Amino acid sequence: MARKRNPARLVIALSVAGVLAIFLLYTSLVAQGTPSLQPSDLAGHSGNVTLGGLVVGRPTGNGHDTALRFTIRDRKGTATVPVSYRGTVPDLFRSGRDVAVQGKLQGGVFVAERNTLVTKCPSKYTPAKHQQQPPGY
Amino acid sequence: MADLGRAALIVTFGLVLWATFAGAWAARLGRRRLADSAANALLAAFVSTGIASVVLLGALVRHDFSFTYVADHTSTRLARAYSVSAFWGGQEGSLLLWLLVLCGYAGAAVLLNRRRAPDVVAWTVPVLGAVASFFAFLLVAVASPFATQTAPAQGSGLNPSLQNPYMLAHPPLLYLGYVGLTVPFAFGMGALLAGRADERWIVATRRWTLVAWTALGVGQLLGAHWAYVEVGWGGFYAWDPVENAALMPWLAATAFLHSVMIQEKRGMLKVWNMLLILLAFGLSLFGTFLTRSGVVNSIHSFTQSSIGPWFLGFICVVVAGSLALIFYRLPLLRSKTRLESLVSREATFLYNNLLLVAFCLTVLWGVAFPMLSEAVRGEPRTLAGPYYNFFLRTFGLPLLLLMGIGPLVAWRRSSLAAVGRTFVWPFAVSVVVGIVLIAAGAGSSTAGLLAYTFSAFVLASIVLEFVRGTRAAGSLLHLVSRNRRRYGGYVVHAAIVLLAIGIAGSAYGSTREAKLLPGQSMRVGGYELTYRALGDTRTAAALERRAEVDVARSGDRVATVFPGKNAYIAEQQTSNEMAIYTNWWRAEDVDVIADQMDPKTGVVYFKVLVKPLVNFLWIGGVVFLFGSLIALWPDAREQRRLVARYALAQS
Repeated sequence: MARKRNPARLVIALSVAGVLAIFLLYTSLVAQGTPSLQPSDLAGHSGNVTLGGLVVGRPTGNGHDTALRFTIRDRKGTATVPVSYRGTVPDLFRSGRDVAVQGKLQGGVFVAERNTLVTKCPSKYTPAKHQQQPPGY
Repeated sequence: MADLGRAALIVTFGLVLWATFAGAWAARLGRRRLADSAANALLAAFVSTGIASVVLLGALVRHDFSFTYVADHTSTRLARAYSVSAFWGGQEGSLLLWLLVLCGYAGAAVLLNRRRAPDVVAWTVPVLGAVASFFAFLLVAVASPFATQTAPAQGSGLNPSLQNPYMLAHPPLLYLGYVGLTVPFAFGMGALLAGRADERWIVATRRWTLVAWTALGVGQLLGAHWAYVEVGWGGFYAWDPVENAALMPWLAATAFLHSVMIQEKRGMLKVWNMLLILLAFGLSLFGTFLTRSGVVNSIHSFTQSSIGPWFLGFICVVVAGSLALIFYRLPLLRSKTRLESLVSREATFLYNNLLLVAFCLTVLWGVAFPMLSEAVRGEPRTLAGPYYNFFLRTFGLPLLLLMGIGPLVAWRRSSLAAVGRTFVWPFAVSVVVGIVLIAAGAGSSTAGLLAYTFSAFVLASIVLEFVRGTRAAGSLLHLVSRNRRRYGGYVVHAAIVLLAIGIAGSAYGSTREAKLLPGQSMRVGGYELTYRALGDTRTAAALERRAEVDVARSGDRVATVFPGKNAYIAEQQTSNEMAIYTNWWRAEDVDVIADQMDPKTGVVYFKVLVKPLVNFLWIGGVVFLFGSLIALWPDAREQRRLVARYALAQS
């Protein structure tokens, strides 16, 4: 006896094909992702990237009236790049922190997009034991 | 004391190993007494893990800094409640909590089911034991919470952003959810190992799945609320890998909760259900791996540690072993019946499952994308918000619509004409709502407009179901108490609609930034905000700086809010303290953030967000919990049906 055609299979096959088609179209046309780089990988990238690394030196500016200027260094390495940023500065931002910011390299300076600076939560806090003055804002 | 904790963990490890190997041996040879002994070992493991937990808890409360874990995660300045919450504030403690919850679940599930389904439970015990062995091994050999040192005078304190009441509830709830998925997984695999692929494992674990799923859902919403009120960026979900790590198993478990109903009622989709519970459990392990291994960049990155490779290995073993088992038992998993019509309750469940799993897998793809692209192209690339939002719309909106359609379609076979008649009222309601919304200007976001129209449709169809049922049963109370599962489910559906309304509200929000001096004002989304003054308060833990801001609407002052920052002294950290004015009448929030404050000049950079309908999220959370509780509440009638069912399966 011939096996009765199961409508479920047809539907499942069509739906899976549909979902896959949407997915592949979208990922191939739109969502290429943004590269996550460190300063040493920046050379040769003209498009938008996410730059990550450690903040070194003393940041200047407040990110509002004057751009916040700081330097990012490779997490394990010596390559650095200066960054110019405007927008909200996260609470945890300071020298030595692991941060990430989006933008592109323009004439040797990494120009960040507005409000894209994030800091990674440090895993451990090592407070100075005797300092009673609250840190600045 | 640390020795006692260490010893208790070693005892636990021995007990769960016994449960695994003696249990498997007993199940294989049908030795009843040995199987009982293996099951009792799981119960005893709960006690010994409990002892270890009490030791750690005691050390945390006493601030015994000779425990490295205590010194790293608390300080004497820390409030008592947060010293307790430091239990899950670090990796070793989290693993211990995981093991404790797992042993608790395992003991209870085995106790409740050993008489009803002894053959399945005999094989469930070794599966639970194997999972527990993995965690016990990590705690004994890789990441011990009982490492000791020469006690320093002061501990490092707890991350200020974790010193928050939400910290007391959000992580434990997520653990209850993650770990709870082990129970249905173990029963499913136990049923396969026992060669009993009937519906008993599903019936026996339905409540467990529901408990885990509810805890995971509520835990995530608490996390979202925490992020919203505390982190101070005015958002509640950022598609961060760690957030996605909790979302994925929840989506898989949601699909599972729906598809098991088809297996219970119609004996279909047996393989699919096994795959779904494997997916849900595997994703809960994967979530822990993600958060603990540091393989992807996340703003949440916890201690990067050595347990990552262990987890990856364990996930591979679990997935490969389970797939092999399912494949081996395929002949047992044949459906008894087949789908009769594409217009039936079963079919809508099927569509719902496909959409949920598709969404779950796209999220997984997004999370894994940096790793995959690094492997293929040599550089990690990240998929951000737009990717996820696209798929949330593509798969979420049809899901929302299905939620209104499914409950009104009959089991087995229905006709389009019959379905059409049922939908007259909900359809009319949604058309009216759609027209009103377009008139009100909601057309500025197509996705938002669709979400609201569909929401109206779903709510109308739920109300219709309640009205019809009440007419038939005589009273609402009677109706709900006799069909808790069904009507609890409808309440949960209503909650999901509220969540959808809240989420879609973000499409209509507005944001403005401005630099203000005292006395100056700014306008945003129909509100006028006037900055009055800046002031400092000193507390024991922090210097609190606040800006006083008057909020006015159409000329009338409606509130005064105090956004600012706290500078914590011990931890040397500042934390943003966003101020929220909630306008319940318009169901929207005005979030005021004082981004930078200069105490000398009084200049403050404000960021103000108007977030329409965001409160529907939190109301939705309460309704969600309420609906889940209705569905969970013990029901004597259902128990009797279950007993009959077990008897039938065993005969």
